[in-house]
Amino acid sequence: MTIKLLAIPIIAASLTFFSCGTNSEDQKNQSAEEPDSTVNIPDVALAAATDDNEISYNLPSPLQIAYVFKKSGAGFISTLPNNKANTTKYNTSNYKKAVNFGVYSADLAYCLFNKKYQESKEYLKACKDIGSYLGLDKAFESENMAQRFDKNISNDDSLIKLVSSVQMKTDIMFEENKQKHIKVLAIAGAWTESLYIACEIYTKDKNKKIQASLLEQLLLSEPIIKALKSNKNTEVEVPALIASIEKINTEFNMIPAISSAVEKDEEIDSNTISITDNEMRLMIESIKALRAEMIK
Amino acid sequence: MKTIIIPILTLTFIFILMSFQTGNILCNAKEMKEKASALLDPYKYDSSEMTKILYKTKESVKEVEVPLFIGEKYRFVFEMEALPKHVEVQIYNKDKNSKNRKLLFSSKESASDKKEFQFDVTRVRTVYVDYIVPQAEAGAYTGCAVFMLGYRLK
Repeated sequence: MTIKLLAIPIIAASLTFFSCGTNSEDQKNQSAEEPDSTVNIPDVALAAATDDNEISYNLPSPLQIAYVFKKSGAGFISTLPNNKANTTKYNTSNYKKAVNFGVYSADLAYCLFNKKYQESKEYLKACKDIGSYLGLDKAFESENMAQRFDKNISNDDSLIKLVSSVQMKTDIMFEENKQKHIKVLAIAGAWTESLYIACEIYTKDKNKKIQASLLEQLLLSEPIIKALKSNKNTEVEVPALIASIEKINTEFNMIPAISSAVEKDEEIDSNTISITDNEMRLMIESIKALRAEMIK
Repeated sequence: MKTIIIPILTLTFIFILMSFQTGNILCNAKEMKEKASALLDPYKYDSSEMTKILYKTKESVKEVEVPLFIGEKYRFVFEMEALPKHVEVQIYNKDKNSKNRKLLFSSKESASDKKEFQFDVTRVRTVYVDYIVPQAEAGAYTGCAVFMLGYRLK
């Protein structure tokens, strides 16, 4: 009886052992044939394509982008963020869900750093709704988030801490759900929304500090393109998104003061660099077009 | 009762053995990131990256490019406990293919048994975090390293 009882798990385990052993052998063989190539880790899905790359990218959060932008002295224009009622419209492709999760995250951050607490709460709800389409429910449901938000309303530091904590939980969920490519798309969406807000405020105010902050944000285009390229086979819309951001990056690099700094291999100092409105025009149009495409 | 316990215990034992077979250590993103976040204070959480490390038959480098906003104050935290063999962390101002790059930080400066590190930086636009993965004696070992970035609110 005991032998019979032991036989089943031992046979099952032996089979598993053999399958694991084959992986190890495969890895060794691959390692011997291609010493510099990266070996696939069997349990890593296509979705986590960046895991096996020699280089990965850690892109800034919407909160930090909004914080740096706020320091330029930019004000709040209530008509700039995306309509909160649009969330259901984006429950279509993974691309739409991901980029608009980023768009709403940027809007939340923009409201938060402008002390628009009621709007912040509404955008947090929009993030939660669209996050649920991406399987991120847990990140928003833990620790009575809504009640904590109400309790700390008008306490800047506590609210920033709360939203940062949601950000971290979201990042963990992306990791656990093998959705690193979704995270990159969300950051691309947040970056586009922050740029759009900065462009609109700059167009209205023509303020030099806002221009400098806008230029700082534009310097993120290259790492975002690289991160998207390392995930380009994950969603069908990614190549077109890369092309749109590359267009913005090319127009940015064509600005005479920028191209001159790049040619001389000099650090771009966005606070002292001289750029005319006309030189900014083309790039601003491309940013608006990309944002319009994302939220439609 | 005995009929259930014996197979369960046998399977548990076998799975424990299997986990040692290739040197794999379970990479728990939640646990590792929560541990790292405890070292961020007073900096605010910005972002994090869990890097899967595969030990090869010769030394290799896994790199994370980290764009920053110039003039902001940052804290880098590393959680390295899910690594079966010691991995050195180096932070540079240029990527691993560039000549004349400057080393800004090395975990070598910390005690060899330390599994968590932190490093503060300001006035840099991009840094490159390099994990120097030592060669493995035999077979493939895998593990994970977590890198977390915090920024300071003024």
